[in-house]
Amino acid sequence: MSARTLVGKFAACPPTRIAFGQRQSLRIHLRRPQRCLSSHAPSQVWLARSAALPVFSRTRDFHSSPASCHGGVTRPKPGEGIKVHFKDSKGNLLKTVEANEGDDILSIAHEYDIDLEGACEGSVACSTCHVILDPESYDKLPEPEDDENDMLDMAFGLTDTSRLGCQVRLTRDLDGMTATLPAATRNMFVDEADTSLARVAGAACWDCQNYSSTSHRFM
Amino acid sequence: MAPIKLAVVGAGPSSFYVASRLLSLLPRSGPHASSLKIHLYDRLWAPYGLVRYGVAPDHPEVKNCTHKFDEAATDPRLRFFGNVNIGTTSPFSYALPLSLEALMPYYTHILYSTGCTVPILHPALPPSRYCIPALSMVHWYTQHPSKPSPPPLDRTSHVTLIGQGNVSLDVARMLLTPPDHLAKYDVPMPVLDILRRSAVQHVSIVGRRGPLQAAFTTKELREMMNLPDSSMVPLDPALLAQVQGASLTRQQSRTLQLLQKGSKNKPGTTAKTWSLDFFRSPTGLTTPVSPSDKARLTLAHTTLDPSSRAVPTGESSTLDTDLVITSLGHRSELSAPWYDPALGHLRTVSGRVVNADGRVVRNVYASGWAAMGARGVLASTMMDAYAVVDTILRDHFPGEDVQTTAASGPESAADKAAEADALEVLPKEVDLDAIPPEVEAGLKEGRVTDFEDWRRVDAEEIRRGEELGKERERMDWEEAHNFLTKTRT
Ligand SMILES: Cc1cc2nc3c(=O)[nH]c(=O)nc-3n(C[C@H](O)[C@H](O)[C@H](O)COP(=O)(O)OP(=O)(O)OC[C@H]3O[C@@H](n4cnc5c(N)ncnc54)[C@H](O)[C@@H]3O)c2cc1C
Ligand code: FES
Repeated sequence: MSARTLVGKFAACPPTRIAFGQRQSLRIHLRRPQRCLSSHAPSQVWLARSAALPVFSRTRDFHSSPASCHGGVTRPKPGEGIKVHFKDSKGNLLKTVEANEGDDILSIAHEYDIDLEGACEGSVACSTCHVILDPESYDKLPEPEDDENDMLDMAFGLTDTSRLGCQVRLTRDLDGMTATLPAATRNMFVDEADTSLARVAGAACWDCQNYSSTSHRFM
Repeated sequence: MAPIKLAVVGAGPSSFYVASRLLSLLPRSGPHASSLKIHLYDRLWAPYGLVRYGVAPDHPEVKNCTHKFDEAATDPRLRFFGNVNIGTTSPFSYALPLSLEALMPYYTHILYSTGCTVPILHPALPPSRYCIPALSMVHWYTQHPSKPSPPPLDRTSHVTLIGQGNVSLDVARMLLTPPDHLAKYDVPMPVLDILRRSAVQHVSIVGRRGPLQAAFTTKELREMMNLPDSSMVPLDPALLAQVQGASLTRQQSRTLQLLQKGSKNKPGTTAKTWSLDFFRSPTGLTTPVSPSDKARLTLAHTTLDPSSRAVPTGESSTLDTDLVITSLGHRSELSAPWYDPALGHLRTVSGRVVNADGRVVRNVYASGWAAMGARGVLASTMMDAYAVVDTILRDHFPGEDVQTTAASGPESAADKAAEADALEVLPKEVDLDAIPPEVEAGLKEGRVTDFEDWRRVDAEEIRRGEELGKERERMDWEEAHNFLTKTRT
């Protein structure tokens, strides 16, 4: 059996294009936790290469993981839902999807395999579901609550129209909204690490070394 | 593809985030499935690092990330080996000591995710009966295998925390929250017993700089303000007035608003109180002659110089207290390979481990607190982990332009050059399923735990918790070992 048919047969979810190289972009398959084994298009993972490379697919235990459906939301019939555009941190369109009134952005992202984390599963305790909304849509939403603002304080790449995806629920008038993934760079960690020089030497700043993200440094 | 057989030293969140990302980028349904193996080694018998043995019990939502880790562990390409200490000194007698050299021949790739496990001490405040690091408190209330002795809370009415970060506020919250409110969470029964007998009336939280420099986040500060039967000693209005008008970040202005408003319970209405003592730097602790007396903490008063550093004003004061808890951050262990004493963690460039001469060590990586130092919430630990995965894949697929996360940034020419000149320490070809014989023997003996063991303990802890009307009742290693031995078929 060729790699192509193997991959086609056993891929769990549609591919997500999350790589954006200039020369050549890889289509990398991102499997969200506990997804149903859907009949979506086969993954293109490494497919380009797989012709030249040995086949390593295997099927053992494949069906052992529990199957629940994506983000826990149902997809509307095409043309009947509320449209949401997801963009990557550089503003490139990842996907335009449709969802129902009341669905939240995090669940929608999961349903459509957008690479948005949700480490605390919508409990407003992690800020990994941070998205940046287009200003018009942002203004249509009720103000964030204190707890959401507290978590946004710690989010990376915060902007004036940042929200936690798990707290934004769709209404009809948000049709056509854009949710952009935040920009993050490795420098955030590097800059932080530099300050540790002073701290190990017993010098500056011992009152700011605990686990806070001290996000004010990042903005 | 050439195989990636990765040994991860440490099984905290960073390690699991790297593992789950690799497993999903090279999915089981994909063509490279079986050339990827990931083995997680932790010196602790249970997985998840600080998520199990750090995150405060009253923050159960933070621990939801373990669902993703559990999901990753359903992939048969991932294995977990608990109770294996990689390196020379094993802090627990029952953990299997295994040298890095003994591990290396079995793996094509190694990742260090060993975190920052050593608390930084204050030079003027050596540990004693009257002074302990916050990490010991955290280890006590999370029942960490290091088993520190419980704090003498029944004889303690005044506690002083040194440091104003979130760990400090976690400890303060644990001391001031009514134990009945904590009872439903993952707080071990013996810990609740001691909290119920606590005599703590006041917690002073001391920092050597001002409200704008404090490291705690608004969420944690708000929780302090909302404590049900404690109140904050109001701040000197002059202190808050002083910072008005400064150009503030969003977080700073929200912190200031909270400080101005003060605690929900008005001062003077509660028996228990807490205070934020800004611009104070400890210079010494005099222990009492009679054990019934308090210790005396001397504090130098400080102010900020133009570059926002704390400098002494020349004045000082004293504070009588029963227990000083230092919360000044953490560093990696001195004995960790590639440890840089100047940094307090491992030496890395874009996740690649670098030796003392500045040369990249091929296929050896570091992530999480071991690589970036003890700062950052789980969100930053996760982003760093994903960026390290990009580095691993870039090195493995040199022709490709891998970037799966914004955090990894475009690959630089310098990175590529460093990689080309790398030091070789690991084999290219290995038996994909082999593990060191010591580990194999440890598994047979029941001394080394695997993920299935953990799943059983996890389910049992939750079951025991249900009986007691709480989230879970933790086991220590002795109990877990007994339980596993008894129920092993
Ligand atoms: C007290 C405390 C509370 C926190 N609370 C929160 C919170 O509420 N929310 C939040 O977002 N973040 C919190 N954080 C921060 C969060 O815990 C860190 O971002 C994260 O744990 C770092 O992950 P890590 O995997 O790098 O390190 P760790 O979690 O420390 O994991 C390292 C693992 O390596 C193992 N190890 C070390 N050396 C060896 C060796 N030689 N051999 C084998 N194994 C070894 C250790 O046993 C440990 O399990 C908290 C941190 C602390 C200290
Ligand atoms: S998922 Fe954690 S804050 Fe939204």
